[in-house]
Amino acid sequence: MKKERSKKYRVIQALRILSQSIFFILFFYLLLVTHFPGEDYIGRVEIFFHFDPLLAIATFIASRAFFTSFALAASTVVLTFVLGRVACGWVCPLGSIHQFFSFIFKKSKLLKPKKNGDNRTAWKYYLLIFILVGTLFSLDLVGIFDPLSLLYRSFVASILPALNLGFSAFIGLLYQMNISSLGDSLVQFFENLAVNSVFRQGFFLGMLFIGILLLNLSRERYWCRYLCPLGAFLGLISRWNVMKLKIDPKKCIDCWLCTIHCQTQARPYPEEDWKSSECIYCYTCSAICPTSAVSFPVKSTPEEIVRVNLSRRKLIFTTLLGIAAIPFFRLSPSTRRASPKLIRPPGALPEKKFLQKCVKCGECMKACPTNGLQPALSEAGPEGIWTPILVPKIGYCEYYCSLCSQVCPTGAIQELTVQEKTKIKIGLAWVNKNTCIPYNLGTPCIVCEEHCPTSPKAIKLVKTEVKLPDGTIKTPVAPVINTDLCIGCGICEAKCPVVDEPAIYVTSVGETRSETNQLLLDIIKEEEGLF
Amino acid sequence: MKRRDFIKDMAVGSLLLKFHPSLLAQKKNFPDLAWIQGDSPSLITREALSSLGGMKRFVSRGDVVVVKPNIGWDRTPELAACTNPDVVKTLVELCLDAGAKEVKVMDNPCNPAQRTYVRSGISEAAKEAGAKVLFPNRHRLKKMALNGEWLKEWDVYTDFVEADKIINVPIAKTHSLSRLTMGMKNWLGAVGGNRNQLHQKLDQAMIDLASFFQPCLTVLDGYRILIRNGPQGGRVSDTKLHKTVVAGVDYVAVDAAGATFFDLGPQEFPYLRVAHQKGFGEIDLEKLIIEKRTL
Repeated sequence: MKKERSKKYRVIQALRILSQSIFFILFFYLLLVTHFPGEDYIGRVEIFFHFDPLLAIATFIASRAFFTSFALAASTVVLTFVLGRVACGWVCPLGSIHQFFSFIFKKSKLLKPKKNGDNRTAWKYYLLIFILVGTLFSLDLVGIFDPLSLLYRSFVASILPALNLGFSAFIGLLYQMNISSLGDSLVQFFENLAVNSVFRQGFFLGMLFIGILLLNLSRERYWCRYLCPLGAFLGLISRWNVMKLKIDPKKCIDCWLCTIHCQTQARPYPEEDWKSSECIYCYTCSAICPTSAVSFPVKSTPEEIVRVNLSRRKLIFTTLLGIAAIPFFRLSPSTRRASPKLIRPPGALPEKKFLQKCVKCGECMKACPTNGLQPALSEAGPEGIWTPILVPKIGYCEYYCSLCSQVCPTGAIQELTVQEKTKIKIGLAWVNKNTCIPYNLGTPCIVCEEHCPTSPKAIKLVKTEVKLPDGTIKTPVAPVINTDLCIGCGICEAKCPVVDEPAIYVTSVGETRSETNQLLLDIIKEEEGLF
Repeated sequence: MKRRDFIKDMAVGSLLLKFHPSLLAQKKNFPDLAWIQGDSPSLITREALSSLGGMKRFVSRGDVVVVKPNIGWDRTPELAACTNPDVVKTLVELCLDAGAKEVKVMDNPCNPAQRTYVRSGISEAAKEAGAKVLFPNRHRLKKMALNGEWLKEWDVYTDFVEADKIINVPIAKTHSLSRLTMGMKNWLGAVGGNRNQLHQKLDQAMIDLASFFQPCLTVLDGYRILIRNGPQGGRVSDTKLHKTVVAGVDYVAVDAAGATFFDLGPQEFPYLRVAHQKGFGEIDLEKLIIEKRTL
């Protein structure tokens, strides 16, 4: 018998790799251009997320409100309904990365693909159930596991900062070798990219991401095959799968190559084992088959989709586990008192609503022009991990900027015009007179006042008596805050020359979005003079 | 010519030159300050320079020139927090016309440079005129001996030091510590490090920095000045149309002139008084030759 690999499917495989590359480049490009575009408003750089039906449905259930931009996710649903999980194989940028590393590991013999299947493919379905059960109770954990959120967050908070550091060292080397003209142009190029390079959990998020990549040493596309809840969701909604696997028994030489090299353990051989809900239509099997026995002819008749076996017992167990886990995610001291460090970006919904919608993707952190938006660790409780908070020690909220509100894919940060944004308080600033230079040394320092962006300024300089250690009295001007004018942007804290612990700092009290986290009751302000 | 005549001429000539050296030099009587008012920021800038003898007096063919505007804040031109873009643009044009090889425009701003450069309008204007608009590059920061009274050494962007000529183009604004920020205060934008700590002795820092950088020309933009809530302002009502440009070599005199925009006397500013005492420049406007004109 003639031994020949199918030309047609090798071309299709090449097309698939091309498609993956294009979508990955597009994803990366949209990520890179998510910064101040030179004008007040940025386009829909977050559009990738809107094609993600898992994010759409999870935030819809958790917040009981539909965000219209997610209408685009319907196209992914229809595509999957008709063609199966092609989005996983041809589009998903995280899938492409996994496939790339699997390929590298396979070529370098670090990964040996195995013939035998296992039951672990069911994990992702249980994870999906776990997430969706939470959303019923308004606990939105989808962002932790959603592939797009995971990828975007990892890139923003760790991969790009690490690359930035690497390039910076390289440029420093260029200057040391006196190749400064090249150094100059590289610096200007990177400045134009405006990469935020400082993230508090950069190491942790980076290790997590690299860990997930290293899973590919164990099985090809480990994440996609065992863990991805979006993949599970798409597996569940695939119905028709127009292209159906067919193995020509006359040509087949029972070599198992197709099943050994199947990216997602869909097991094309033996044919009756093929799990169409697991197949991502990467066409590796048909391209690798030494006798061109494997093909995917179009058969428009609906046939039963073969799915992963999920045990009813385990489904019930996962559901119960999901319900039992909910209160644990809400064990947080913030139920007693508002967290002072929980300074949300301007336009953020009230905390409860915010947590129901935020998918922890990091779009806002990428867009922030000062690098001030950081992933939360414990400030917002366990359910709020990696949600954005402003850390004014690192960066402040730029007065005329509403980019974070524009790029939020779920509306957790309500879209604002620049004009609207300047009216919003995200907290209030306080002077620490114990460390403030004029209050202590009697020496002038007006840096906070100088940087205060409101007009009139929320920081006033008032003559103050200061006692020095030798008993003499000095009367420098010192900062006093007008809490009516202060918007909590934090530039005072960011620029304070007291290097280690700024002598002026912002806390969340007074934030516009909260009814309870307020300093004064409105009623007291209005009826001033009664007492 | 006979040898005797030649020797005689030589003797007469050298005697003449000894007592009237100006015979060989062209007669040039430039004013100390050009003080021009008018409706167009670029025209008054042009006029100020021609009053001072033209840009060729300051910039020679093949020079690398750094023009240092104030691009400190994320504010649009009508808020008068940054130098007027047309003034910057005109200066760049004049430099290139005078034969400059390259004109760089840069500042180390307080808000992110990516925003201030664009929103001040300076980036676009300067690029249109043919300048290289550069973001401050921390690899070009170098600790330098300033040998000032207070600042012995500080991190300075080497672009300023390596340039053949520096032109300072500040804007006149109020400031809560130095009262006004004009030319000498503008040098805080040419350095790095923890420059917010310079405010502890700001007047001295301004004098030390200004005498270190030694611009060949200072052009003070008083087209729209900031009279309240400085140095950022924030509302158009914080500004005042003053439609003036003052230019001169003596940077102390330029700042002294700027004080009058705000109806203040130069004597009221400690930093000007000290700078004058140290001999860096004149602050008595009466003693200066000023060419004042309205277009």
